[in-house]
Amino acid sequence: MTKPVRSDKGQRTYLDVVHVGKAFKGTTVMSGMDFRVAQGELVSLLGPSGCGKTTLLRIIAGLTGADTGDVVLDGRNITSLPAHKRNVSVVFQSYALFPHLSVAENVAFGLRARGAAKGDTGPSVTEALSLVRMSDFADRPIAALSGGQQQRVAVARALIVNPVLLLLDEPFSALDRKLRETMQVELKSLLRDRNMTAIFVTHDQDEAMGVSDRIAVMNAGQIEQFAAPAELYARPKTAFVMDFVGLSTRLAGRVTQVQADQIQIETAHGAVTANSTLPVGTHVTIGVRPELIAPQAGENTLEVTLTDAMVLGSKTLLHGAASEPDKLICELPGMPGGMSRGDTVTFGWSVADTLVYEVTS
Amino acid sequence: MTLRAERIGLLALPGLSFLAIVYALPLFMLLLKSLQIDGQFSLAEYQLFFADEFSRSVLWRTIRVALLTTLLALAIAYPTAIAMARAKGIWLSVFLVAMVLPMSVGVIVKAFAWTIIFRTRGVLNDVLMSLGITDAPVRMLFTETALIIGAANVFLPFMVLPIYAVLRQMDSRLPEAAASLGATPVFRFFNVTLPLSLPGVVAGSAFTFSLAISMYVIPSLIVGERQQTLSMLTARSFLYLRDEALGATISSILLVIAISVVLGSSWLAARLGARQ
Repeated sequence: MTKPVRSDKGQRTYLDVVHVGKAFKGTTVMSGMDFRVAQGELVSLLGPSGCGKTTLLRIIAGLTGADTGDVVLDGRNITSLPAHKRNVSVVFQSYALFPHLSVAENVAFGLRARGAAKGDTGPSVTEALSLVRMSDFADRPIAALSGGQQQRVAVARALIVNPVLLLLDEPFSALDRKLRETMQVELKSLLRDRNMTAIFVTHDQDEAMGVSDRIAVMNAGQIEQFAAPAELYARPKTAFVMDFVGLSTRLAGRVTQVQADQIQIETAHGAVTANSTLPVGTHVTIGVRPELIAPQAGENTLEVTLTDAMVLGSKTLLHGAASEPDKLICELPGMPGGMSRGDTVTFGWSVADTLVYEVTS
Repeated sequence: MTLRAERIGLLALPGLSFLAIVYALPLFMLLLKSLQIDGQFSLAEYQLFFADEFSRSVLWRTIRVALLTTLLALAIAYPTAIAMARAKGIWLSVFLVAMVLPMSVGVIVKAFAWTIIFRTRGVLNDVLMSLGITDAPVRMLFTETALIIGAANVFLPFMVLPIYAVLRQMDSRLPEAAASLGATPVFRFFNVTLPLSLPGVVAGSAFTFSLAISMYVIPSLIVGERQQTLSMLTARSFLYLRDEALGATISSILLVIAISVVLGSSWLAARLGARQ
């Protein structure tokens, strides 16, 4: 495993998915999908199940054929190239380790598939296993490994062939929370060191935020927003992205007044002001990130009856009484105490922090 | 063993006692008969059997037919099992019905149906002659080839179903992972699918071989008395020759072969399975 010399991260398009469409038995999963990734980037496809993220991953891997459109990798159109000729490695959710082979034989598989003799794979396998700190397990059967160890083997097996692209389908979902966080840190630095271009598929927003340079939030076969984690969180483009990435106070309402660049919105819990130019009468959804709300009057102020005050240690979440789909959530640092169910609390925040989305349907 | 486990063990009692009385005891007595002459222990019956050239040729034919039947069934069953493992919905039902339904048609009915195809002026010969492949009808009925084809047909489900069951359980991500690692379809088959399906192959082959080595009706109907097998010889010893000792000896030889195959294949399956 020689270290590849590639380091133009963010400079040019490396993977280019152009206008890809796919339908299963007449049901359109995605259409006109465009998706670009630069070399060395770690990107996540984030979305609820059924949004098409795994299908997109499989199309890039060559495991599922696209009905329309092209997949271009490093300047080469690979749309009709079979999976085994793409040099794109996949780490599956179930890891898909070969149960009849030992750890070392699993890791050596890609080299053997490329014609290496059984005896010649030793040094590479040793190096790959030490990379994922599994050197002591070379001769173990797969069944004797824990989930975290299996994942390490799957990563070593995927990286030993020096893939031009690494795809990971929900790679952490089978691990418990503590291990998941450890593995995320470990894997991220491993991929960074090797300047690997990688795409993670996940439905877990924390995971996506933690491991990626950019996140593509997908919904119903479309990419709703493709941006850096901070951008995605601070300026979600759609109400879906706001809801899917992080918590938020969220209220349905209607524009009642337009003044200069500000609008007044009537909600079930009171009037709210936001920066927007939507016309009077427009149905909107407003959102505020919970940590931007303070328990005191602000430019926007609502009186809220608490249904719960969840003390989580580093933070406390105040949940206000609201009927679906409205949500009233305020996050306070630390454990302020003195608030409990039934209390009336003031939620205050600035106009600039108020997100507004037109309700389209 | 806990009390509870002991009580659950009692549930096996009816089955075990049934087998003991109806199967194990008579078989044991039969075995004894082959080892006794006038109440004395003796291997003379076995010496007699193996000294006789005719007996040896029947033994060899029986083993050869069983082996070839197993091989033919395996060759047909393996691709079928792969297709079935990948089939979904209505196609899977069609496959399963196609496998199980023929078992409900008696062997006799099947054997007579084959004669329509295989006889001298049968369908197959008509086709061969009209295609100009042969000038005169080929003798197919009453040959070992016909017997093997017929037996493979009858025992096919016993080969297909175990292989199908193993392939069906296989994680479909495994061949995909292999492909993403650069493995061609051929490399994938020989290094992933085939090794993982071997326990099914072993089980199916053991079933088929055990059935084929002891079959009686099929050879009686297809090849008749011309080419005897061990089972036919056994029946003849009991029914016509009234030579119970000879019948018991041949039965015991059959039993030993069958038991070795079952034990050998269980050992092989356990060895293959232990790695998974």
